Amino acid sequence: MRLGMVRGRVVLNVTGDPFRGMRLVIVEPVTAANLAARNGLGGGTPLVAADPLGAAEGQMVAFVEGREAANPWWPGRAAVDACCAVIVESVDFRPGDKE
Amino acid sequence: MFLARIDGSLVGTAKHETLQGCRFLIGQRLDADGSSTGEPLVILDWMGAARGATVVVSTDGDVARRKLGNTTPARLTVAAIVDSVYQPARSAQ
Repeated sequence: MRLGMVRGRVVLNVTGDPFRGMRLVIVEPVTAANLAARNGLGGGTPLVAADPLGAAEGQMVAFVEGREAANPWWPGRAAVDACCAVIVESVDFRPGDKE
Repeated sequence: MFLARIDGSLVGTAKHETLQGCRFLIGQRLDADGSSTGEPLVILDWMGAARGATVVVSTDGDVARRKLGNTTPARLTVAAIVDSVYQPARSAQ
């Protein structure tokens, strides 16, 4: 999973079955520098992800990419390759520290 | 699979139902020279990896599916905790 900031929503006009009623959000991936700086910025290339959790704009989410992103629709099928899995409450990120 | 260094952890509010109670670590993938690639990754951990540890991360969701059920979106898991990395060609340079 990568971390991303929710920047907006996508509303569909014409679509197929699994996408009916599905919430889609624009997610901007967060770089390590921005995560360590806690500045609320992303820095990555934005993408569209399914969002069954209902994340709001400005919230940080952890999103899954790849085939596994469609697993929540199992045993059905969905052409989803990115899906929000966690709405982040807090992050403890200190690169270089050791326990 | 790839090597990553554990740099932190994450607490979530809403989660996919299969991810309740899981331990989420934040790590960065390592380049061949041991430097981090600058993109944090959220990794599920059942091994108990500590901050600063080098781990082997598997990108296959099968381990997570077996533990959490077929509907889990989890993918990255800690497959092993690394003791040392041996690269004779690099250390000779």
